Amino acid sequence: MDYAIQQIVNALAFGSEYALLALGLALVFSIMGLVNFAHGEIIAVAGYSVFFAVALGLQSVLGAVTIAIVMGIVTALVFERVAFRPVRYAPTTTGLLTAFGVSIVVQNMLTLFVSPKARAVPVLGPLNQTFFIGPYAVSSLQLLELAVTIVAIVALVLFLNRSLLGLAIRAAARDFSTVRLMGVKANRVIATGFALSGFLAGVVSVFILARRGSVEPDFGSAPVIKAFVACVLGGFGSLAGAAVGGMVLGFLDVAILVALPQKFGGLRDALTYFLVGVVLFWRPQGLLGRTVELGDKEV
Amino acid sequence: MAPAQSPAAPMPADRSMPPLLRSILGGLVVAVPVVVIGVLILWLAPPYQVRIAFAGYVNLVIVVGLQIFMGNANIGNFGHSAFVGVGAYFVAILATPLAAKKLSIPNAPFGLSQVVLDPIVAAVVALGIVGVLALLTGFIISRLSGIAASIVTLSLLIISHGVFINYTDLFKGAQAFFGIPVVIGLPTAIAVAVAAIVVARVFRDSQDGVQLRASADDVLAARAFGVDVVKLRFKAWVLSALVCGAAGIMYAYFMGAVIARAFFFQQVFLTLAMLILGGMRTVSGAVVGCAILSIGLEAIRSLESGATIMGVKLPEMLGLSGLSLGAVIVLGMAFRPNGLMGRLELDELAAGWLRRLRRS
Repeated sequence: MDYAIQQIVNALAFGSEYALLALGLALVFSIMGLVNFAHGEIIAVAGYSVFFAVALGLQSVLGAVTIAIVMGIVTALVFERVAFRPVRYAPTTTGLLTAFGVSIVVQNMLTLFVSPKARAVPVLGPLNQTFFIGPYAVSSLQLLELAVTIVAIVALVLFLNRSLLGLAIRAAARDFSTVRLMGVKANRVIATGFALSGFLAGVVSVFILARRGSVEPDFGSAPVIKAFVACVLGGFGSLAGAAVGGMVLGFLDVAILVALPQKFGGLRDALTYFLVGVVLFWRPQGLLGRTVELGDKEV
Repeated sequence: MAPAQSPAAPMPADRSMPPLLRSILGGLVVAVPVVVIGVLILWLAPPYQVRIAFAGYVNLVIVVGLQIFMGNANIGNFGHSAFVGVGAYFVAILATPLAAKKLSIPNAPFGLSQVVLDPIVAAVVALGIVGVLALLTGFIISRLSGIAASIVTLSLLIISHGVFINYTDLFKGAQAFFGIPVVIGLPTAIAVAVAAIVVARVFRDSQDGVQLRASADDVLAARAFGVDVVKLRFKAWVLSALVCGAAGIMYAYFMGAVIARAFFFQQVFLTLAMLILGGMRTVSGAVVGCAILSIGLEAIRSLESGATIMGVKLPEMLGLSGLSLGAVIVLGMAFRPNGLMGRLELDELAAGWLRRLRRS
């Protein structure tokens, strides 16, 4: 029983991290149809910014968190302006490949100008402490991840439902031209989408930093591939789908880890992706995605 | 948006020629630079450069194989390296002499540690295994489209890598599988590359290829004309996998050793970048992209390790080749989203020029 509760907490923590990442991807995708593989590099840049700040003498946890989040937003906006604006009206494949390119460029710049090796960033360690609630060992980071994810999702839902810009974003996801006809600037909607996605990336960056205590060039890319899968699993472009997909993937990961004998532990990823393939074969539009018949005007 | 494709090559002078012959000749024209570069390398280059060139030819065959599915069906494919790996590993398992196998895979299942096949037979069997896997995966992938299909190909890559790394009894895990007989050289690689180019070109120009490309532009219209999109994607997928498998077999028979991480993300990104740079709509695009990136990256790689230029010793710059690779993709997408070649093959372009010359 104890063991089960422990594993459920694990799964919830993994799931919230995937969900935050997947939300960032889904936001951008729903607005401009861009599959942003470079999301991981937003996380990496945020992480490296903290690394530089620490090297310059930063000590406080709050300062590090602020830097990570601000740099996440800034990086996302820069990516949008420099790389993604020229391919805004191009087909999905073009955008996807641009994002790949950006991801490769940033990873190699970090390799070239900082170091190919991992660099220690101990400043966020205090966020990750183990304490006991009754008999259960709980990591403060896991609780934090869960809490922040819930807050972030609630805030995002409020923003999208209550503010004019949020309304514009939701409308843009369905029909961008009509939104522009209503006098909303395309650049503003897209920039807001990227800023929100950068904010979420900054938050995830804090979590990963607190857990690992170091940065390296492929800091963000491995989790983002998982998040990407979570998005597709939930239904690409649907925000609720991204959150659900992230949680499902978190539980899938932990369940496989628990169920698989030690000897086959290395096959965890292979099995996860196999199950994802099965789900997609069964529901190509994802768990929460709506079936759109070809030629339907309503998306 | 991609420009509308004109299915038949715009070569009125050759209208009398049967279409199949025209495709084969067209493919051979595209393959001319491939052969010329290869012969020059064989003739002039020192052995270590021949080795580098061989890797380039392996990549060329992979890129051409990738083009068959990705270029015609317009579905992002990240899984092709799985087939390269399967091809390479199965010739390694089947053709390696017993003595080397005793060291590397003594506990192989099905008594495979006691089997040694002739390299050619082993290649045929390995290609057969690639084919069977392609049939199984193609059944799923041809029924999906867009991003779901791309994700399933990505899953395929990760699953294959997981199996190579963890099924140590058969694949020797993360370590190199060595002792494979080295039976081919650069001339064979050039021949295989030419064959791959012609096969890809014939498929592209065939009725299936034209219908598949049409369905990539507008699925609804293609279906309305009675095009069986699923069947065509399936055919393209299997053919693409077989060509990639052949590249893997070539790799194993030249290098004499295979290692799982050679068939993972790095290879996938490199070959994808080559195809995108050249333009995935044409076989010529695959060839041009592969040639430019192979030569360019090799030049940059010599800078990377700290070259001396005109007496100035440059510092070691790890990551420079990756940086350029990414920059090429980003700039290419921004300025030439359809790649360098666009929608016409090299020979079609040349025929157009000739026609215009004659007219003026």
